[in-house]
Amino acid sequence: QSPPGKPEIHKCRSPDKETFTCWWNPGTDGGLPTNYSLTYSKEGEKTTHECPDYKTSGPNSCFFSKQYTSIWKIYIITVNATNQMGSSASDPLYVDVTYIVEPEPPRNLTLEVKQLKDKKMYLWIKWSPPTITDVKTGWFTMEYEIRLKSEEADEWETHFTGQQTHFKVFDLYPGQKYFVQTRCKPDHGYWSRWGQENSIEIPNDF
Amino acid sequence: LPICPGGNCQMPLQELFDRVIMLSHYIYMLSADMFIELDKQYAQDHEFIAKAISDCPTSSLATPEGKEEAQQVPPEVLLNLILSLVHSWNDPLFQLVTEVDGIHEASDAIISRAKEIGEQNKRLLEGIEKILGQAYPEAKGNEVYSVWSQFPSLQGVDEESRDLAIYNKIRCLRRDSHKVDNYLKLLRCRIVHNNNC
Ligand code: NA
Ligand code: NA
Ligand code: NA
Repeated sequence: QSPPGKPEIHKCRSPDKETFTCWWNPGTDGGLPTNYSLTYSKEGEKTTHECPDYKTSGPNSCFFSKQYTSIWKIYIITVNATNQMGSSASDPLYVDVTYIVEPEPPRNLTLEVKQLKDKKMYLWIKWSPPTITDVKTGWFTMEYEIRLKSEEADEWETHFTGQQTHFKVFDLYPGQKYFVQTRCKPDHGYWSRWGQENSIEIPNDF
Repeated sequence: LPICPGGNCQMPLQELFDRVIMLSHYIYMLSADMFIELDKQYAQDHEFIAKAISDCPTSSLATPEGKEEAQQVPPEVLLNLILSLVHSWNDPLFQLVTEVDGIHEASDAIISRAKEIGEQNKRLLEGIEKILGQAYPEAKGNEVYSVWSQFPSLQGVDEESRDLAIYNKIRCLRRDSHKVDNYLKLLRCRIVHNNNC
């Protein structure tokens, strides 16, 4: 039995530039029940605060709601592990919410085979931004990528669509089933994971 | 194509904004690259980073600190604030080129970007002046020129203090570039698209 090993802050992410979460990896527990606490201070302030919410983002996490999130300010964050024999603190992490933005994937991916006036057929792909990101006011600027693959293909074909939430694909094999996925990225930040896959059968007369 | 009522050619506001935002976006990317290059050298050095972080000299300019605050600033006031912020970086960028010369592995990468930002800032200022001139002509010239370089002079300063000051300066440049870009994106959606981007 010994004091706990040093925990490590694994990652902090903000899905919307208005809230954020930090996750930590516990160190060894020294063979005893170990408690974790996260403390932080903000650039320019002397006070140290404790994590406002250990529950919302799951085990070994701290969620900062809107009220507790500032942008364009550095947070200095430490995780402390304590057991009966002693305690151990992580290295401090310096994080600015501005630069850790990773959104949820786009939603409502719909696929529809449509026709132009000249009878040319195409696959119309449409989707919506993730719910919590404020794109309407321009607080958040989002870019998108779609990828598609026929049932028979090995590789995805990827297309960057800029800020557009729709895309037309013309050259598809008739009679084949196609799988489509989308993902998104803030103007300055990380790509989301690929969202829910959707599929469609291309008609034989395509 | 510019609209020319009565022979006075003007670019539509939407296009002015799009151009200005392409610049602010590019300038941000340059400043982020600069910071990332520099930060590589200090990545695990928590003591250095803790010592380096100090007030950004441009913090005397009352820039809105979040979304709601920014939305409450009248557009012409925010545009003038942006002008002040960008202007206040003129001299510090110029000095950075000399300050960094030859002292870092990342020197060349930093110097070339500092120069490029200096150039692009000029075009950015022109673009914002055009927007003001077109959409808020009565507010033109209300820029606050008060933020002269409160960046410390690095003449005769020891190596460590110099490195700390440079780190803070580049970190602040990245932040201010992000602010400018985000403010402009907010303004575009508000003014051109009625908050319905
Ligand atoms: Na938790
Ligand atoms: Na907040
Ligand atoms: Na920063």
